[in-house]
Amino acid sequence: MRITLVNPLDETSRTVASAASRLGTLEGKTVGLLDISKPGGNIFLDHLERLLRQRYGVASVIRVMKPTFTKPAPEAVISKLVDADCDAVIEALAD
Amino acid sequence: MVLNRDLPFAFSSVTKQMLDKGDSAPAFSLARLDDTTLQFERVSSKPRLLIFFETDCPTCRLAIPYVNRLASIIDGNERIVGISQDGKRPTRELIEQAQVKFPVVLDQDLSITKQYDPVAVPTFFLVDAEGVIQQTLGGFNKLELNQIASIMNAARTVIAEPFDGAPDSKFGCVSRHLESAGEGEIANAVNPYLTRGARATRIELDESTDPFEYCMQFGDPLPVVPPTVERVDRLLAETSLEPDEIIGLIPPNYGAATVEKVAANAVMAGCKPEMMRVLIPLVRAVCDERYNIHGVQATTHFAAPLVIINGPIRAEMGFASRGNVFSNIARANSSLGRALQLILTNLGGARPGEIDMSTLGNPGKFSYCIAENEEENPWEPLHVELGFQPAQNALSVFAGESPHGVSEHMAREGKQILKAITRALATVWSYRVCHGIEAVVILCPEHVKTIHRDGFTKQAVREFLYENTGIPLRHYEDGGGEGTPYVKMYKRAIIDGEECCLKFPEPSAIKLVVAGGTAGKFSAVIGSWAAGARGSQMVTYPVSAES
Repeated sequence: MRITLVNPLDETSRTVASAASRLGTLEGKTVGLLDISKPGGNIFLDHLERLLRQRYGVASVIRVMKPTFTKPAPEAVISKLVDADCDAVIEALAD
Repeated sequence: MVLNRDLPFAFSSVTKQMLDKGDSAPAFSLARLDDTTLQFERVSSKPRLLIFFETDCPTCRLAIPYVNRLASIIDGNERIVGISQDGKRPTRELIEQAQVKFPVVLDQDLSITKQYDPVAVPTFFLVDAEGVIQQTLGGFNKLELNQIASIMNAARTVIAEPFDGAPDSKFGCVSRHLESAGEGEIANAVNPYLTRGARATRIELDESTDPFEYCMQFGDPLPVVPPTVERVDRLLAETSLEPDEIIGLIPPNYGAATVEKVAANAVMAGCKPEMMRVLIPLVRAVCDERYNIHGVQATTHFAAPLVIINGPIRAEMGFASRGNVFSNIARANSSLGRALQLILTNLGGARPGEIDMSTLGNPGKFSYCIAENEEENPWEPLHVELGFQPAQNALSVFAGESPHGVSEHMAREGKQILKAITRALATVWSYRVCHGIEAVVILCPEHVKTIHRDGFTKQAVREFLYENTGIPLRHYEDGGGEGTPYVKMYKRAIIDGEECCLKFPEPSAIKLVVAGGTAGKFSAVIGSWAAGARGSQMVTYPVSAES
């Protein structure tokens, strides 16, 4: 007997966005560091910031933090990174 | 429902098309809810007011009481006509909830909406006796509502007072005919206000395919009931909602949980058709922003949604609330909990090993649903405590760990039983971590009987547990470890002569539920995930009484 099923999976149509092109160099660039606010995240990002500045010649580092790691970043946090014209953003968590 | 302030700028060109002051108001005839027809003639003896609205628009709901006030002071029936852009059922619900006092007609195919072409809802068109539009108002604005009212009634009564608790003005939502939705159309970003989705596709299986084997890809790792069109239709017949109506967008992938998709997953979980009446509010509840299912689904913690059922529906639908309440005891509990999990993974995308990277997981991710044993509960049950009537049905969802048993067979007094429970409560999340967490305490009938006999009210139990659950300061002396960096922020109390950090921020962080069989002195505590506004809050939703 042939049977017909109702597809129970997600079929929501979505826009597929391609990733931004990779940077050739970090020198002179502005890099955003997004701390998701887990304990220890600041220690890791402090270290990362030092490396970016000293070893890779990053011109400026923008540090922003989510109010809670349990939820997606709110608009206000994202727009701080957008307004700063970051060339790249690194989102990091630590525990 | 799309908030008007979220509109792209392209809509500004649409604004010009809306009928405006000086334009002629088209006549129309539309059906009322009782299927009789309302004729709106161009010419009349007095000015009239048309209001285009949507049932799920907060601004429309804000405006209705003011229009009701106007309706009660003007003479002449049908001088105010509400034009609903939604179907009969949601419109009727709104009329009942808001006690609408003016005639309402349905513009389901939006044909009249397209003629008047409002950008937002609510939009008010004040039409003079000659059929010419005299004034328009998009959204809510007290000043302009009073202007309209003064033209409509000779006494020039003010209908919208300042400082009555409502804002002076509020943006409306996008008029239904301008919402982009539907099959084949691609949204630029997640639109959280979509109300209609696409129909589910059909999958034809040839005779050589075993449907049970084929459907293994759709479930938890156990076989599911194949969601055939016939089976899904039986569930759809139990709801007045349209199959393509979106109940919620399920995080983290924000897949559209249409009524049809919910039904297909419910079939797979083994739900009886009538379970739709519980499952639909359950999907709405887990999608409640306060519950934060996004985080609950994506965390590495143990959390899984625990569903707690209250009210007469427990008996009507066979929900177990007594012995083995957390186990494989009743089809209702097991199938409802499983259906929710299938919806979360199949539509939300939180598949174990993919987005759901929980370190140890939780057996409740197969199914985690209990009913309260209200019959053995000497106090008000959970839903009544939260404001529902005893005869109402309600469901609550709590992001919880697995139950942690508290055996206490020796205690002869309620206080001793509660002390035993405090020791288990002290360990939830992690022993030294305080605040930011909650717990559900499941009191078994034997324990609750003794506690009640000793004169405890429900609130007194909560306060006792709050005041007596603490971690002695000496346990923080060895320095580092989870919970220790914040020790200065924790509230302190003397418990049994020793200074302690209080485990919970307030008594309300402890939820009390009576469940289980009448033999055995075993209660349980269920720790939360990150609790409160920064994590997940328990939410309680009504379940309708009619089947």
